[in-house]
Amino acid sequence: MARISLPDRLLSYAVLCLVGTLMFAPFLYMISIALSSDATTVKAAFTLIPKEFALDNFVRVFTDYRMGTYLKNSVIITVFTVFGSVLSASFVAYGFARIRAKGSGFLFIVLLSTMMLPGEVTMVPQFIIFRELGWINTLLPLIVPSFFAGAFNVFLIRQFVMGIPRSLDEAAMIDGMGHLGIYAKIILPLTYPILAAIGIFSFAWNWGNFMGPLIYINDPDKTPLALGVQLISTVSGGQMPPWNMVMVASMFLTIPMILVYTFGQKYVYEANLNSGSAGLK
Amino acid sequence: MRSRDGLWFYFFISPWLFGFLALTLGPILFSIYMSFTDWDLFQAPNFIGIGNYEKIFTHDPLFWKSVGNTVYYAFISIPLGMLLSLWIAYYLNKKLKGITFFRVLYYLPSVVPVVASSLLFVRLLAPNTGLINRGLALIGIDGPNWLLDPDWVKPALIVMSLWGVGGGVVLLLAGMKGIPGELLEAAAIDGASPRKAFLFVTLPMITPIIFFNLVTGLIGALQTFAQVYIVTSGGPDNASQMIVPYLFENAFKFYRMGYASAIAWVLFLMILLLTLLVFRSSALWVYYEEGRKHG
Repeated sequence: MARISLPDRLLSYAVLCLVGTLMFAPFLYMISIALSSDATTVKAAFTLIPKEFALDNFVRVFTDYRMGTYLKNSVIITVFTVFGSVLSASFVAYGFARIRAKGSGFLFIVLLSTMMLPGEVTMVPQFIIFRELGWINTLLPLIVPSFFAGAFNVFLIRQFVMGIPRSLDEAAMIDGMGHLGIYAKIILPLTYPILAAIGIFSFAWNWGNFMGPLIYINDPDKTPLALGVQLISTVSGGQMPPWNMVMVASMFLTIPMILVYTFGQKYVYEANLNSGSAGLK
Repeated sequence: MRSRDGLWFYFFISPWLFGFLALTLGPILFSIYMSFTDWDLFQAPNFIGIGNYEKIFTHDPLFWKSVGNTVYYAFISIPLGMLLSLWIAYYLNKKLKGITFFRVLYYLPSVVPVVASSLLFVRLLAPNTGLINRGLALIGIDGPNWLLDPDWVKPALIVMSLWGVGGGVVLLLAGMKGIPGELLEAAAIDGASPRKAFLFVTLPMITPIIFFNLVTGLIGALQTFAQVYIVTSGGPDNASQMIVPYLFENAFKFYRMGYASAIAWVLFLMILLLTLLVFRSSALWVYYEEGRKHG
């Protein structure tokens, strides 16, 4: 690309700073409200730049509210679902990528077509199934489905595995390795970039999932953070929510997400490249 | 030798196959059946034929209001978001010092969980004390009552959606990186300004990604839920009620399982039709270079 002229550079920085300020202001506002005292909160006299530093809000959200419980439930859900979705999707993807069998082509098309089905269609029947199983007010409906390999994840990993030379498998087979061995010792280590991306997507989805807990959980002991934040905002009935506490809880909800994306951006970027442009061709 | 091990294939795909049968195919069939009944979760279901669908299409004005609101929201927030993301990507693609900082900054809002951003925007959009109206007051504009005003509540949700525009920008930037340098150099040699090069070289080359953003954006917008549930509860006066929150209310507040199932199928058809329409249109404006490798 040609060198950028000085006026163009100045204009670019001006635009980037202006829009960037608008993008960043809500974050600053969140932090500022989280640091506000109760007196300021009652008057809703919040400022963009923090004027108070009520750091005890970050303790009170554990003592006066149930942040500890919410966090614990969110961590349990997220750990299991990330593990479950990565493991199951890679397992299934190996089957679709490496083994030909009667019906395998047809089943792959079935798998792809399930991606078109909006979750709302299966939402009500799934609720009834989990209700019959007695899983309401447990974390199970939020965890167990992730062990059944999400279609999109399977598709992503399968594409990745197709790019790994088959000669590796064949060499291992000659050495007497079976499919389980090839999956665990050869394919799994080589697919880690896409597995990392899927782990991040799964983390993001489950950590932030609101509708799932809203349907299945009506017990503060089992409430994950995404629903818990909303509960904190409704504690006072129709009155004004305790905004400082709401924003403290929102920060607990947001910061892990930012950290995971920051540390995992390399993998997300590559997976986006594969799914975003090539995936649709 | 690999071609004989059919059992191994089914062994490997068994987690998906079980999930598909138990949590997708079974529920699909069950949902179709339910949509022809009046089941309320407590009494035995009565078969009522196409009664639910008849009600949806002939005497449920609230459903059609929520369809109208959803379409309004989708048809304004998506084009606005696409224009904004292109505009931002144009600047973020420049080779400037500190550009990584800006890229991260613009991307961050899109990773904020929807519960957190929804509650944050309740505060930002507060009529008198909220940050947005106080900002508008600084430049002499008397801001509207946003969430309390039936005319302004949908624009308020659209403003909120624009904050997360960075997610699409990242994909656009990835696509721009894949454009062969020769193309842009050739344009520069021919005397094209950076703006013209963007419009006539970069833009056509990234239409596949714009298309991807459009499709995913459309499907996502038609399924908007948490923002409405948390920020507006569909109000005021149902001015922001949308399809999925309306479905959710029917299912989990009024336990009209049959009716909710019928709504879900109507929603599915709407998503399918609109997506097909967009796919059809892609022949007119999406450019795929023959044999070009993406990424």
